[in-house]
Amino acid sequence: MSDTKRIGGVIISHGQLANELVAAAEAVVGDLHHIRAVSIGWHDDVEMAKAEIEQAIKEVSEGVGVLLLTDMFGGTPTNIAAMFLDSNDVEIVTGVNLPMVIKLASTTRETTLHDLAKEVESQGKDAICRATTLLLPQKLKKDA
Amino acid sequence: MLEATVRVTNTLGLHARAAARLVRLAATFSSSLKIRRTDNDSEANAKDILSVLSIAASRGVVLQLIADGADESDAIEQVKQLFADNFGEQ
Repeated sequence: MSDTKRIGGVIISHGQLANELVAAAEAVVGDLHHIRAVSIGWHDDVEMAKAEIEQAIKEVSEGVGVLLLTDMFGGTPTNIAAMFLDSNDVEIVTGVNLPMVIKLASTTRETTLHDLAKEVESQGKDAICRATTLLLPQKLKKDA
Repeated sequence: MLEATVRVTNTLGLHARAAARLVRLAATFSSSLKIRRTDNDSEANAKDILSVLSIAASRGVVLQLIADGADESDAIEQVKQLFADNFGEQ
């Protein structure tokens, strides 16, 4: 039934960042069966890394799309992930941070891949803030 | 609509795991549930963990719970109890 299908997620990064982001998100929101991590070693072969991403996409895909979150635009993980963009079922958002993974993890089922990609991009940007402006605005006034 | 006031008393405040417990509980009710800091009026949707984290409610902060819907009474009581239990923490 289509209403039980979930958009999948694959987090792709240099080094162990992807594994740790998923582990941290799981510690907060519980098991994430629809999200996989692919950590690409600094010296990994491109074809091997591509095959690993392909496998992860297959594992989480339920036919309603897969969102790839990569660490840095222009980096190898994003460049390899971009090889899957020809498919209509794949979107990429770069610059992954923990709130983006949590957003993906806690999303409701009534959304489309493209809307979810926009929401995750927006959430990731909103989550970056100078903490002083929220917690100690009086300190900023003093500095001004 | 029902309202109640609670104080954050656990050591770490409304941090990620505590917020996750609140969100999981809030999601079991059909009523909407908002929490509002009484010191600066910042407000969060208690069913959205990133919204809850955004108000950065540390220990000592007083929050207003605002529930609206068919099961608002149960929602308020159980959320009050979760705060009273310190989210199962110290």
